[in-house]
Amino acid sequence: MFLEFLFISSAVLTVSCALGVLVVKNIMHSCVFLLGSLMGVAGLYATLGADFVAVTQIMVYVGGVVILMLFAVMLTGGTDFISRAQNLLGLAPSMGNKWTYGMGLFVGVVFLLTNIKLLMGLTQTLPTKTINNEFPSTVTEIGHLLVKDHVLAFEISSVLLLGALVGAAIIARPRKQN
Amino acid sequence: MMSLASYLIISLILFVVGLMVMISRKNIVAILLGIELILNAAALNFVAYSRYVTNNLDGHIFSLFIIVIAAAEAAVGLAIVIRFFQIKETIHVDEATQLRN
Repeated sequence: MFLEFLFISSAVLTVSCALGVLVVKNIMHSCVFLLGSLMGVAGLYATLGADFVAVTQIMVYVGGVVILMLFAVMLTGGTDFISRAQNLLGLAPSMGNKWTYGMGLFVGVVFLLTNIKLLMGLTQTLPTKTINNEFPSTVTEIGHLLVKDHVLAFEISSVLLLGALVGAAIIARPRKQN
Repeated sequence: MMSLASYLIISLILFVVGLMVMISRKNIVAILLGIELILNAAALNFVAYSRYVTNNLDGHIFSLFIIVIAAAEAAVGLAIVIRFFQIKETIHVDEATQLRN
């Protein structure tokens, strides 16, 4: 009962906030809607029994990526704000026009219809396993898997994070005027 | 009601909305938001299949690596956005024409 409530509320939060990211005109509100959508995905992970992934989702995405996006919006909204003083930040015309929205709607509908057709065939052939409703903790097993089976990917991802950190610092640093 | 198909449909909606955000927005930060939605749809699919089809935790591991790569991609992408803003004083994607011709 609680599980179904969590599933329905998370699904509604995810889908409605994703649509909010699509339709809203203010880039700051768009970032906040993305935050809601990522929280909904974390709730869906919790209903799937993936506790560690859910907590990591909240920590990395909601605590890291969305805050980074908000900082980027604040750092890059300056001249828009000054030059178009009537509009507030983010009501800039750079958020898309009728032509791009029509194109996006067309591609989205085509993609949705083809994939629903694929899913209808897929769900009838997949084996339906009986699911028990108990959720053992996955943290210990994920830790064992990360240092046994997937240790190479683990190390490579650490090198990737180091490279991304150094690269981001080098790219975004202010240059000397020449 | 909580079955594999419902999770797949939610993930499909997330993917399509992310695709539409990427196509219809002209703001570089908004395009990055669409990429985040698409990566989340992929990770949700991995975890759903890991619970309903296979019995191991490999889907969880893959989902964790997707989260790591999304964080790295967001950091580098936003650094590029900030650098682009320092040069062009805008983040409209149509202004990024320096490599044309």
